[in-house]
Amino acid sequence: MAANEPTSLSGNRDLGALLKNLRGKDKGVKYNNLLGYGFIAPAMILYLVFNIWPIFRGLLMAFTDYRFVYPETRWKFNGIDNFVKMAEDENARTAMVVALKYTAIVLPVTILLALFVAILISRVHRGASFYRWVVYLPSILPLAVSFLMFREIYGAKFGLISNTLIGLGIKNPPNWLGSTQYALPSIAAAHIWIIFGFPTLLFLIGIYNINSEVFEASALDGASAWQQMRWITVPLLKPTFALIIVLLIGIIGTTEPMLILTQGGPENSTRSIGLHLYELAFVRGDLRLGYAAAISLVLGVISAIIAALVFRWARE
Amino acid sequence: MAETLTSGRMVSAPTQVKSSPLRSWFQRSNLLAHLCLIVVVFLILLPVIWMISTSLKDGKQFYTHSASLIPVPPSTINYEYMFSAIQELPIYMRNSFILAIGVAVIQVFAASLAGYSFARVNFRGRDLIFIGIVVSMFIPKSGGLMALYELMSFLKLRNSLFGLILLFSAGLPIPIFIMRQAFLAIPREIEESALIDGASWLQVFAQVSLPLVTSAMVVIATLAFVGVWSDYLVTFTMIDKNTQMTISVGIQKLLSASYESATTTVPHLRGKFAHEAADAAMLLFSAFPVIIIYALLQRWFMKGLTDGAIKF
Repeated sequence: MAANEPTSLSGNRDLGALLKNLRGKDKGVKYNNLLGYGFIAPAMILYLVFNIWPIFRGLLMAFTDYRFVYPETRWKFNGIDNFVKMAEDENARTAMVVALKYTAIVLPVTILLALFVAILISRVHRGASFYRWVVYLPSILPLAVSFLMFREIYGAKFGLISNTLIGLGIKNPPNWLGSTQYALPSIAAAHIWIIFGFPTLLFLIGIYNINSEVFEASALDGASAWQQMRWITVPLLKPTFALIIVLLIGIIGTTEPMLILTQGGPENSTRSIGLHLYELAFVRGDLRLGYAAAISLVLGVISAIIAALVFRWARE
Repeated sequence: MAETLTSGRMVSAPTQVKSSPLRSWFQRSNLLAHLCLIVVVFLILLPVIWMISTSLKDGKQFYTHSASLIPVPPSTINYEYMFSAIQELPIYMRNSFILAIGVAVIQVFAASLAGYSFARVNFRGRDLIFIGIVVSMFIPKSGGLMALYELMSFLKLRNSLFGLILLFSAGLPIPIFIMRQAFLAIPREIEESALIDGASWLQVFAQVSLPLVTSAMVVIATLAFVGVWSDYLVTFTMIDKNTQMTISVGIQKLLSASYESATTTVPHLRGKFAHEAADAAMLLFSAFPVIIIYALLQRWFMKGLTDGAIKF
């Protein structure tokens, strides 16, 4: 869209064009280095110190036996020891399984729910902005507030769900957060409630961008609403699917809900790998930042691989 | 119904299909969609509605009808208790405001300058640096929290609101991106004519360009405020001193506070309220500022989300 804008004077709007123009331009352009660097300095200093440095430091830390309470271990490199330890660590393995289970619940349900609600909202005109507002509301609430709210809702004695079930004649409803069977799915349900708004908005934008003539033509050909969805909407939303999966893949390292609600209990049924590494790093004993960074790196690599696969799928 | 149709997004259909099955299909699907959406809206709001209703129940009501959505008669006893007995509440709230406003101010300041520079000023390596910022966003920050813990301890910024303000303010890629787009949207002629009239670069920036991007600044401030107010993990990791605690983290401690000892400060309320209902009041209170901002600044908020995430 901005490919033919004068790129030498004003910056280019389109990132792709920006990349292409990186080389072989700016001949005879007057530079204003002092002003330019001066203006980006405050932002760059903050960004380099608090965002870029931790990337490198976190990477290096994964190959050390750094324990925070022993400062002399800061640069004690131990090769791949951390990763070997992780493979042998029974707790890490079970925590990884919990995290994968959790992801396998949250990711698909969130995406399907978001798609469903986005299609509904795209079908209405009046009130669409109200629906969008409501859908995103849970995402702006403080995380701890939302999860603690669900602790009350799941309450065994006076919780909303258990009491409603009793009112409907079901005796002895489960103790949601207190049973090994229900704790993880219960947390997952609360998590889905919190995060599904943003994917919904992304899907909605994707649907709005599909040319309405496509729908009209197919409707004239006698396509039903289901057929339209199956053969037009969903296939054309493939890039949106990819974007959402990549944005949500961090769920594999979920920490907060377990930290706030269960501390891993009951009987480690909600001890996710995120919680495991968090406790290793910041709660237990000698604060093993090095080992925790190594686990975190493994999670990062897994997420990156999944993201790469998803992008390849979206390109097809 | 006819208006909904003609103004509807999908129906710009040619006139000859006006009374065809297509039209009635759209009408029906619209109605059905509205019905489904009302159910969805109810399910989304149900937890919040129940919390509001719970916070308005006195002890007796809560213990007998804990699942009911309408308190009869509504009682303010939980709020009375909250404001009179919980001493940490105003401290935590104040800290949250300092943190959220501090980050919003710094981000608007730093992102405006940088956004302008990337959009309008020519300096060596400009586009390369900008692309670097964008690309760095997609590098997974494995071990980032551990590295930040070390960094903040090293800088003596742990347990410091000021340190946390700096840390959160550094999340600048999306704000810079939004500001750059905003400056690029200003027609160059406006700035150039001011330059020809003899104004300096700085004057043009401060007096011509900056006033034209105020809406982008509001977007950034809103996103920053809400995001920082709601953070849990980073704040929880960096702050463990009571005087520096924010409400979004401290709320957990407030809820598990001993009600027995707390009621000694307000003996007249003892036994009249349920502590679960008092919890509900505190939870609502601690989310109140972001809900208000979200309600009042909806338009900017949605614009920020789409500008930040989709155009990126």
